Amino acid sequence: MSAGTPYIAFDGVWKKFRRGEVHTSLRDLLPALTRNALKGGFLRRDLSTNEFWALRDVSFAVEPGQTLGIIGNNGAGKSTILKILTRILRPNRGRYAVKGRVGALLEIAAGFHQDLTGRENVFLQGAIMGMGRQELKRKLDAIVAFSGVELFIDSPVKAYSSGMNARLGFAIAAHLDPDVLIIDEALSVGDYAFQRKAFGRIRTLAKSGIPVVVVSHQLDRISELCTDVLLLANGETVAYGSPSDVIAAYMRGDGNTAPKSAVPSPVTFDEAVLVGSPSVRSGSRIRLRLGGRVVAPLTEHIEPIGIVVRSAQTGETVFETGASMLQIPLDLGDFQVEIEMQMNVQPGIYLIDVDVWDRATEEQFIEGPRLTVRVVEGDTFLGGTNLNARLVLAERTATIPA
Amino acid sequence: MTKPTRIDLPDEPASGVLGDLRDVITDVSNSRGLVYQLTLRDIRVRYKQAVMGFAWAILSPLLIVGAGTILRVAMLRMSGQQFAAIDAGSIAMKGVIWGFFASALSLGTTALSGNPNLISKVYFPREVLPLSVVLACAFDACVGAGAVALALPLLSWRPTWALLWLPVLALVLFTFTLAIVLAVSCANLFYRDVRYLVQVLVSFGIFFVPVFYTPEMLGARWIGPQMANPLATILEGARLSIMEGRNLLLPITRASDGVVLWNPMYLLVSAGTAVTLLAISAVVFRRAQFRFAEYV
Repeated sequence: MSAGTPYIAFDGVWKKFRRGEVHTSLRDLLPALTRNALKGGFLRRDLSTNEFWALRDVSFAVEPGQTLGIIGNNGAGKSTILKILTRILRPNRGRYAVKGRVGALLEIAAGFHQDLTGRENVFLQGAIMGMGRQELKRKLDAIVAFSGVELFIDSPVKAYSSGMNARLGFAIAAHLDPDVLIIDEALSVGDYAFQRKAFGRIRTLAKSGIPVVVVSHQLDRISELCTDVLLLANGETVAYGSPSDVIAAYMRGDGNTAPKSAVPSPVTFDEAVLVGSPSVRSGSRIRLRLGGRVVAPLTEHIEPIGIVVRSAQTGETVFETGASMLQIPLDLGDFQVEIEMQMNVQPGIYLIDVDVWDRATEEQFIEGPRLTVRVVEGDTFLGGTNLNARLVLAERTATIPA
Repeated sequence: MTKPTRIDLPDEPASGVLGDLRDVITDVSNSRGLVYQLTLRDIRVRYKQAVMGFAWAILSPLLIVGAGTILRVAMLRMSGQQFAAIDAGSIAMKGVIWGFFASALSLGTTALSGNPNLISKVYFPREVLPLSVVLACAFDACVGAGAVALALPLLSWRPTWALLWLPVLALVLFTFTLAIVLAVSCANLFYRDVRYLVQVLVSFGIFFVPVFYTPEMLGARWIGPQMANPLATILEGARLSIMEGRNLLLPITRASDGVVLWNPMYLLVSAGTAVTLLAISAVVFRRAQFRFAEYV
């Protein structure tokens, strides 16, 4: 790597936080000082009782042409990595480096002052992000045009809707010409149209060949943008590799730390596959094959095959069904079933979770297998609901003379 | 699945006090644009309603003049002397100086803790926050000083060459104020009750520095100890040079009994104290700033 090449690197980084209230007062200072002195000073590197490691020995390097996606459950340490990369926090151990002018699409409207006008805030927020006055003057028109708040640019920001606020903030951040880029998923700002515009801008930046780190819960965006993906759980690297491998690992539950039920499940699964391609067009059908065994007598309130389809982007449940609703006859012994579903949903990644649960207590016996379907834009309809449009009349009622 | 690529990064050399100071100066001077924007923000917000803005800048010196005049009249009556109008001018001038220090201190205390969004979400050299507060207060002080400058000639005051001491005194005042504000803003982030201590200090501090009185009024042997406080030196220096047209490079003695009222060393020591305090504050601030985001 040559000397001037921009890069982002983490080298064995550890970061600890304190739980609970950290504000102290002078009144508490003296007793605390004595306590600390007795324990051996402030700079101990190990943990005391109410501290925890938010990051443990995390390493990665992102060079030009690479886009690293970081995924993981809430609390896995993703934001901590971003805050260290942007120098807001400093690690307790390990080293990190960000070489080049940093573009951070994190908190894009953090510096706004409510009493100042949009225009004044562009200069303030731009300066906070490291842009010079001349540079901002030059880019002002482009920023305002991108944000779509032209009419309100000379009104105080307190009169803005939260969407306008975010749009203006994003527009400023998007016009910083960075050498390296750090992105938080908080970018789902504004209305649908602006979100698409914003994502388009991010894609252009990310594909321009500069080193990029993206944190997101939106797995389809990660798989679209990234060359490498890092999966975090409890501050540790669980998996690293190509987007498809790591996203698959995440979907399998590798980043999942939730405890399973202790009650033995009356049903177990040994097969769960999608018959056909895991990538389908919106509106087409998928076939799910499930195999397993009923090991204990089923009572009325047990749902032996629960099926939940969730959006990987939003986590929202889009569809739910089960053996009882589909009237699948099940009894002690082995079974194999195939279920067809029509994916009348918006394009995106969907998780299909199979589980066994108790309808009376809503308790889950086991988290069964999880499958992933990628839905791409179809050719019969757009949007989330298929209203089954059908052509019923087509005739020419007049002709224009040539 | 692969292992993440790893770049072995060199250990950063531990920076000493001088290295830290150099970093502060480079970082702040690289952020001039941000300092300008933040200062402008404070001034704009305050002067958005022009009347209120100017009232803000003039009101506190005006109140100080009022309080000081009452106090002086009372003291002079006790000793059977007459109150001269020029005394009110002197108090007004010193009121602007104290007003600057007091407002910078009270607004500066929350310069960090009052901007949790900026501290926990965006990086920039944190020094610029207290610095821009002090600069915005300096702007107010200039407005106040302008008002005093318009009023003084009405009190039969005439400018002299000693006015040239004004920038020197202003520089020492700015340095000293910035040093205190840096330290206090940082302290208030970690210990939230610092704010209340500062409030008390701002309310009663005026009685501990020679605004309403002159150092000699407390007795000849208390002049020296009072001058250990840079603020007292600045106030007394401003009175002697601006109001009385004296040259601060020469010792000044009382004609009646030869008591030393002013020694050039006072100013030198004060300037030295201010610069030293600023250096200490800046280094402490710099070393603490990486923990700001966790405490804010």
